[in-house]
Amino acid sequence: MAKRVAYSGLFSSAFAATLAMSSAAFSADLVIAMPNWPSGQATANILKVGIAKEFGLNADVQELGTLLAFNGLEKGTVDIHPEVWQPNLEDVIKRFVTEKGVVVLAKHGVPAWQGICTTPAAAEKGLKTIADLSDPEKTKILDTDGDGKGEMWLGAPTWSSTGIERVRANTYGYAKNLTLVESEEEVAMAGLDIAIATNQPLVFACYAPHFIFDLHKIVRLAEPAHDASKWKLVGPNDPLWITKSSASTAWDAANFRIGYAAAFEKKHPDIAAFLEKVDLSPEEATAMSYALEVERIPPLEYATKWVADNAKRVDGWASK
Amino acid sequence: MTESNRLPAKVREVGRARKLTLALIAVAVCVGPLAAWAQTQIYDSKTHTWVDYDKKKARQYYARNNQPPEAFRRQPVPFRTAEPPGTIIIDGNQHFLYLVQPGGQAIRYGIGVGREGFGWAGIVRVGRTAEWPTWTPPAEMVARDPNAAKWKDGMPGGPENPLGARALYLYEGDQDTIYRIHGTAEPWTIGLDVSSGCIRMNNDDIVDLESRIKIGAKVIVLMQGAALYKGV
Repeated sequence: MAKRVAYSGLFSSAFAATLAMSSAAFSADLVIAMPNWPSGQATANILKVGIAKEFGLNADVQELGTLLAFNGLEKGTVDIHPEVWQPNLEDVIKRFVTEKGVVVLAKHGVPAWQGICTTPAAAEKGLKTIADLSDPEKTKILDTDGDGKGEMWLGAPTWSSTGIERVRANTYGYAKNLTLVESEEEVAMAGLDIAIATNQPLVFACYAPHFIFDLHKIVRLAEPAHDASKWKLVGPNDPLWITKSSASTAWDAANFRIGYAAAFEKKHPDIAAFLEKVDLSPEEATAMSYALEVERIPPLEYATKWVADNAKRVDGWASK
Repeated sequence: MTESNRLPAKVREVGRARKLTLALIAVAVCVGPLAAWAQTQIYDSKTHTWVDYDKKKARQYYARNNQPPEAFRRQPVPFRTAEPPGTIIIDGNQHFLYLVQPGGQAIRYGIGVGREGFGWAGIVRVGRTAEWPTWTPPAEMVARDPNAAKWKDGMPGGPENPLGARALYLYEGDQDTIYRIHGTAEPWTIGLDVSSGCIRMNNDDIVDLESRIKIGAKVIVLMQGAALYKGV
């Protein structure tokens, strides 16, 4: 899921995106950036359909990386971003929202969660808390290559969260008795599908909202509550940041919000007010993710039905 | 009680030593000399114990039943996934290949895998397929193995050909990865870790699989263990 990093591929697609925006700008009244993860795709299209319904304006949905979208929000080529993650994008938010004041984040945030999950088989065999992961006797059931050590998926190599999970593994201590694995998310999720199908124990980094919570019965590993004083992260510009960092509690609570250009707010205060009232829940974001990823419903088709099914609620977002 | 009743569906892995000193590469790794290692176990319902499913046991079982144990036979299974129908997912650890079907189902096939698996995990695609493909041993195998030497210019497809009835050539982008999913002339090896490198299936199964997939089908290779998650 690109939202965990949201930087990859930003620049390679810039030229094509600029061309696309230029041609689309002739017919569109506004531009909504669309991320490449499913809940963001669904929300971008729900906003498109909702704005057409309530304000009669034609929004063009453009797939854009987050940084390119923020640059567009500053320059006026993008008006809305449907899903801005915190704290993952804290540095971008600091620059565009706090310092430059060119982007506004809607007040409503959808709560998000990051942590470690297991299959039911792992929980049944004693892996229930983060402390259990540091017990080699318990984690040897996770061994799939016969070396006596279990394996655990930390995330995709490009995700910012993956390095932090490695820091957590070092600090908690289970890096000593588990082999920490990085791979593309699709590979890890296929491994989860098989672990569930064959009732095998599996432990892996996970986050919500995510369709796996609707697809499979999985268990969240218990951890000590987040304590900011126990998270000492050195900036990733330091090549040794992982060994220099420590984190021995759960992740801080995350959330994501709609972002829109400050200039757009001046031009369309009614739509900005509408965006402020959009109140999606984590369950709805999970359902969107499931519908697009598992049921393979095209985002616009999903959004059209969603707005029809939630017509009164969408009307309420537009009411003064 | 027949042997088939005594060796039913459940299969599990036991610890394995994977310290290979022989680095094998190229197509020939798929069909290198057979040397099955004892690492799979199957459940003996008569004695209520797990028993090694090694090369000797596999040969005996196949001789009596003319098919592998039930777990390794082609069968529909419940399988929930976000992957679209037509996707192949390979679990070398448990010796299964899944072909995703609509409606939360998959067709599960038994496979034989290399002693060290593919040596990687990742996402590839079926670039092309071939019926009764020709097998050409690599130079190093020709040099050390007189049986291989006589096929140095290529062994025609046929029942004795180690690639079996079909081969699915796995590509990353437009590049052939040199790895294949193929049939076998030694169907008793299904469920075992034999030779190295590629994925082998019995000939009926590879023909069935090949008939169901489209060129370009997505293939997710899980394989065993952490070292195998490095990507292709």
